[in-house]
Order: sequence, then structure tokens, then C-alpha cells
Amino acid sequence: MSRTGPKAIYNPRIPLMPPLRSRLQRMAYATLCVLVFLSALHAQKWSGAQAQLAAKIITLTGPGTMALELINKSSLPRNESDEIRRGILTELASAGAQFVAAERAATAVKIYLSEDLTNYLWIAEVRQGAGEPAIAMVSLPRPDAPLSEHDAITTTIHKGLLWSQDNRILDVAVIDGNPSNMLVLDDSNVGVYRLQGVRWQQEQLLPVTHSKPWPRDVRGRLVLRKDHLFDVHLPGVYCKSTAGAPLTMSCYVSDDPWPLGTDQAVLSAFFAPSRNFFTGAVAPPLGAQNSVPAFYSAAFVPREKYTLWLFAAIYGQVHLVDGMRDQVAAKLGWGSDIATVHSTCGSGWQVLANTSSNAAIDTVQAFEFPDREAITASQAADFNGAMTALWPETSGTSAIAIVHNSESGKYDAFRLTIDCGR
Amino acid sequence: MTRSALLSIVAASLLASVAFAAVRPRYGGILRLTTGVAPVSVDPANSTIDTLATRNIYRLMFDTLVVLDTRGKPQPALATSWQAEPGDQRWHFQLRPGLTFQDGTAIGADAVAASLRAANASWKIFPTGNGMDIECQSPEPSLPAQLALPAYGIAKRTAAKLAASGAFAITRWDPGKKLTLTARDDYWRGRAFVDSIEIEMGKSSRDQMIALDLNQADVVEIPADQARRATAEGRHIANAGVDLLALVFSRDARSADESKLRDALAMGIDRSAINNGLLQAQGEPAGTLLPNWMTGYAFLFPAGLNLAGARRMRAETLAVSSWSLGYDSADPLSRIIAERIALNAHDAGLTLQLANSAPPDLRLQRLPLDSLEPHVAITRLAAKTGTLLPKLGDDSPSSLYAAEAALLQSKRIIPLLHVRNSLGLGADVRNWMSDRDGTWHLEDVWLGAEKP
Repeated sequence: MSRTGPKAIYNPRIPLMPPLRSRLQRMAYATLCVLVFLSALHAQKWSGAQAQLAAKIITLTGPGTMALELINKSSLPRNESDEIRRGILTELASAGAQFVAAERAATAVKIYLSEDLTNYLWIAEVRQGAGEPAIAMVSLPRPDAPLSEHDAITTTIHKGLLWSQDNRILDVAVIDGNPSNMLVLDDSNVGVYRLQGVRWQQEQLLPVTHSKPWPRDVRGRLVLRKDHLFDVHLPGVYCKSTAGAPLTMSCYVSDDPWPLGTDQAVLSAFFAPSRNFFTGAVAPPLGAQNSVPAFYSAAFVPREKYTLWLFAAIYGQVHLVDGMRDQVAAKLGWGSDIATVHSTCGSGWQVLANTSSNAAIDTVQAFEFPDREAITASQAADFNGAMTALWPETSGTSAIAIVHNSESGKYDAFRLTIDCGR
Repeated sequence: MTRSALLSIVAASLLASVAFAAVRPRYGGILRLTTGVAPVSVDPANSTIDTLATRNIYRLMFDTLVVLDTRGKPQPALATSWQAEPGDQRWHFQLRPGLTFQDGTAIGADAVAASLRAANASWKIFPTGNGMDIECQSPEPSLPAQLALPAYGIAKRTAAKLAASGAFAITRWDPGKKLTLTARDDYWRGRAFVDSIEIEMGKSSRDQMIALDLNQADVVEIPADQARRATAEGRHIANAGVDLLALVFSRDARSADESKLRDALAMGIDRSAINNGLLQAQGEPAGTLLPNWMTGYAFLFPAGLNLAGARRMRAETLAVSSWSLGYDSADPLSRIIAERIALNAHDAGLTLQLANSAPPDLRLQRLPLDSLEPHVAITRLAAKTGTLLPKLGDDSPSSLYAAEAALLQSKRIIPLLHVRNSLGLGADVRNWMSDRDGTWHLEDVWLGAEKP
């Protein structure tokens, strides 16, 4: 078949431009270098133990023929055990061992890669003749489970990972700006961080002082203020920061109520200082009601003439309180933590609730209350562990969720916002 | 234990620990436990009955200077730090300030020293301000882990009564029958979730199961041979550590022939059949005292039936073997296992007579693993069985292996099985957690009953 179009014309090669083949070669070479370097680093990890075990084996056998078998009884993956085997073979060979089939070997060596609670344990079982085998072993520390990667997953509830640490996080507050700052509350400190590029850098650590022990399942809340930077509410303790530099914080014994609402709805409630719940006494009173059943958390839905408050009570029910009535919602299957988020979606007000589950994964879902019935407003967002806190941020447009990551063992703080139409 | 079995246990434990995770822990309520043991004292230094239940009961009342984490590593408790002098014979412990016994008196260095002296008279203890020095008779590289044992729980002893240092205060003690404990509001790690714990003692397995079914108990002991059935019947069963089931000779072998007979017995016992048939697969055949997950080397010691080897070994000696075998006569399962061992011995050409009247030549014993720290665990096992553990050179795995191999070589103990302990949990029990050595964390348990 003949081509009727114009002939293809190629540009002459630019003299200084390396040929394509050459560039590919360089890239391949660079990649190879990186791989070799990584492989060398990887191999180095075991080299000490490999040499040690090989030396112990040679001490038992002396140089000569041996049949060697390696059995992996540990949690090490196949590629690692292959790597270890190669290293030991190399070490043994350099010490004079010759590897032959079992029937021609003077010595049979079985190497077991095993582990106990804290160590990798490499055991060599050396058989020469019909006698009892000799045992040699080396141990090396076994690291904890590797940390897992946490990527923010975009769903209708957007969860952005803010911070992760070993100590239990109680609350986080982000001060958006340029640069942004972040406060991280745990049971000992308020960490002050500044966003530099894409990383939070610690600027200060303000200690939380208290005289009585914290209750089990300790809770705490950070609230941003206008006349000073922030307040901290903890069981039986109130801490107040200064307004500016130098930033300091003073803590006092206090049974003052904790603010529950956001900039859009104000309500405070008294926290039982040796427990993990609010007593039910609230201020200011909700219409005719100045107390509600003891509860773990609260959310609100603004109405035209009043605010509907929701309380996740300690016995599992959700109470709807409008100032006139205290109504128990039909079984919602919610957990203990709820929070309100203001968004541009739907009615503009969504209640986030963690959901009761028997699984190891907690979920958060958004609901709306057009009347007294909860309507599901989002898909459930999964978290890799148990949720230990869910607080609205002071601005009201987002919430902070703290999750005890079941893989890493760390506490992860997420900022939850509602994404419309995704 | 196969890796899949291990993973399933870990997964089950994890599941149990995070079940109902979306619901915040609830304070209040009475947790009701029943147990078959009936101790006449709750003084940890004066313990005559050593079971999983008693050890956990002590832990509720008496904190230790040190606790072990899930990997068996010592972590601060009543002591905030510690340091050994060169040689590991003398140690300094710094105490956590501001702590009190249940009667409000301070847990100071003098009180802690007095408590530890009652538990171990061989230690020389010198209070030093906010801490103390402990001088042992010989080097003790594992002393911090040893101090995590419930026997070293810190108690204040007066003529009238004991005062607790732990999460729960003793409010009523009817020796051998009932113990009532109340959560301490001022506990340094935070008040326990339940208000109180009631422990009914001396209950048979049958009575315990009935109490669970009638919702008269929240936590009961389930015998190993009934755990599978209880699960099949829909009860919530939790694993709670392992015990070593072993044959323990009353004395050392006196001749090479006697050693051979003991070897023949060890080889001739069909551990798998005992496990699968009598224990409903609630155990793992064992060739060592400590399980493989703790040491990493247990698979080197054979635990399978070797009847041909046993007969050959028996034939190599002309000595007459006729041993009396003792067992726990209060435990029906113990008798059945002893009978099966006697049959296995007969197949190997040995004679075992079940006997519980006179001190027997060897005894079938169920021994709890006391610690997640292997050096402490094996030292305690040796002490309980009256055997001499070769001195542990250091705290390395090689030293542990050498000591355990030598102990087994002495032929005083024949390990049989590592048997899982099982507990039945009521429907309202939440956040049950148990370490692999069977340590319960009852201060974290809460009751999830709906408000009526």
C-alpha cells in the first residue's frame, strides 16, 4: 500500500543532545545504581549477624564439606530470608566451607530463622555423624511493626491527616494563616507547631500541670480565643495561654464548664472531673431546661427560631433537646462521639457521628436533621482503628477526629470536612 | 503453634479489645467473677495457691514497682526508673512520688522496703530517700522483670488487715469465699471503669457455667475440655494465657538406666492425642517448658510420639520401672489425662500406677507461666517444680537455651503440653484484654448494659 501524504521529515539531531539510546542507558544506569545502593544498604542490615552465625558454625565444623538448609520460622518475608541465606553462604564459603549434596557432606547444617517476643533468633543445628546435634545461635533486635502510610482519602467526608504521635492526642486546633500554626493537646503538653512547606515543625511544648491523676479514658478540648490564643479544658483543670509572644500557658484546678459549641452556637457543660463524661448540667439553660442526661458529646442543628441540641448520652441513647422537650431519638446506631460541621452542602449543617460497630474499624458518617429524624447525608468514612475523640473546631466548619491506629499503635489526628457532590 | 493459629488468636484478642470501639467506655457497675480456687489469704507474699486467677486477683489490689509490656520488657510502675550497679547484684529503684495506699498513707521507700522484705527475705533492702537499693544474694540481671511478678505487689501489712496499693481497694474479704473490691478514685493511673469487683471463690466449673448462663456472673473459668463446646453454644470465650502441663519427678534420676526409662516415657507419650482428644485442641504439644513464641527455639525439642524409640530405649535397660503417678484429684480432667499417660507408658513397656495417697514418684502438674520475660518465667517454673535451674549466664537467648536444655537434660521434668486458659465472658463485658501470659486488665474493662 502506497502512502499518499507528505513524506515524513526528521530534524537533524541537535549536536549537543545526547542520543535517546544514550539517555535511556544513563537512566537505566542511574536506576541500577540506586537499586544496588538500596540493596547494599538492605544487605548491610543483616551482615553482622550473618558473619557471627557463620563464624559460630565454622567453629563447630571447621572448614570442609557441608549440606546447608535454611528454614524460615519467623515473620520475615521470603525475599529477606533469601537475602540472609545468601549472606550466610558467602560468609561460610569465605571461611572455607564447601557446599555439597547431603549424601556427600561431612556436616549437615540446618539454619532456622526464628523469633521470640523481642528478637530475631537465628539457630544453626549442626549434625556431624550420629551424635546429638550442636546448636549455635545469634539474636538481633526485632523492630516493632513498621509504621503504615496514611493518605488522606477523599470521600464525601474529607479526612486530612494533620498529625500522628505515640502519646494519646486529646484534641488539635489549626490556626489557619500564612504560615499556619497548629496546637496539639495530649495529657502532658500542648505542642505548638508551625507549617513549614508541607511539614509541621515543633516550635514549643507547653506543659500541662495538674495535681490529681487523670481519669482513665482522659479527654480534653482546645478552644481558640479572640482575646488570647487558646484555652485548654481537661478533667478538673483549665489552662489559659497568653495572647502573644512569648507564648506561655498557665493551668489551674477548675470545675468550670467546657464550651461545647462553635462560633455559631454557644453552650457550655460541666465535665465530671474523675470520669469521661459531662454531668448533664449545661449553661446557659436550654430554654426551660438547665440540665440534660449525662452525656459524652453534643452537636447542634440551628433552626429558624431555636437550636436543636443533640446529646450522646452515656447509656447509648441520643437525646434531642429543643428547650421545650427532651426526646430520645429512635435507635440510630451511633457511637459516643458526635459533632456539628457547617458546610455548603445540603441544609448547611451536618452532624458527624461515629458508628457503633463490632469491627476493628471505626467509621464516621454525616447526618442531617430536617425534622427529628436523622437522614444519612454522606457515605461512611473508615478509620484504621478506634476513634478516641471527635470535637468540632472553633470555626465550626470542620471537626477533629483522633484515631488510635491499630496498625502503627500511634494516635492520628484528622481534620474532617464535608465535600459536596463527590 | 502454627503461624495461622497464632494469627487467629492475635486477631481474636485484638477483636476482643476493640469490640464496640465506637462507644466510649462507660463508668460504673459491678463486675462479677467466679473462680474455682479458694485462697485463705490475699496477701501476695503469703500465697499458697498459684493459679492464673489468684495472680490476677493480686494484681487488682497490689501494684508492683515494674510492669512488663507485651514484649516482656520492664516498664515503670510504682518505680519510675532503675539502674544496676556493675555486676547486676545491687540495683537502685527510684519511686514515683505522691502515691498512697488505700488507707491514705504514703507509699514511701520504707513502706515499699517492708513489703518487699516480706516477699523475699533473702534480699537486703536499703531505703534511700525517694528510692531504695536492693542487694541480691547473687547477680540478678532480670531483677526488674522479677519485680513485676504479682508476688512482689506492694502491700501495707498491719496486724488487722492489708492495705492495697493498686487500682482497687479491699472492702470485704471472706477468706476462701468472697472478695469485694472497690475502684480507687485516687489511683495514679486513673480510676477503673467499673465501680467494684465481686469475686466468688471455690465454685465448681458447673456452677460457674450456670452462673454465667443465668447472668449471675460476668467472668467465669472454662475448663480446657469444655472451651470448644462453650464456643459452639454461642458463649463469648476469651483466651487468657497458657499453662504448662508437665510430668514432674520427685527426685533426680539415680542411674543411667533410670534416665533412659524417663527418656522412654517422654518419647512414648502421645501428646497430640491428649491434646486433640482430651483437651479438645486447646493446647499445643510441648517439648520445652517455655512456648516457642516466647523463646524462638522450642521447635528444636521433639514433642511428637516416638513409640519405637521409646520401646528401644526401654529395651536397653533391664531396670524395672514401676512408678506411681500423682494428679490433682479435684480436677476430673487431670485424672483422665493421667490415665491416658499410664496407657501410653504401658505401650512403651513401662508401668505407671495412678496414686494420690502417698507422695508419688512423679506428678502431673499444671503450671502457669508467671511472666512474659523468659528468664523469669523459667526460673519460676524451676522453683515451682523443685528442680535446679542452671545459673543463667546473662539475659541472652543463648543463655536461656543453654539453661533450659540443661534443665530438660536433668530428666526431672517431662513437658507435655502448653494448654490455653479460657474464660467465659458475659454479654455486657466490654474491652476485655489479656496478655499472652494471662494477665488480665480488669481496670480497663467496662460494662455495656443498656439503661433499663
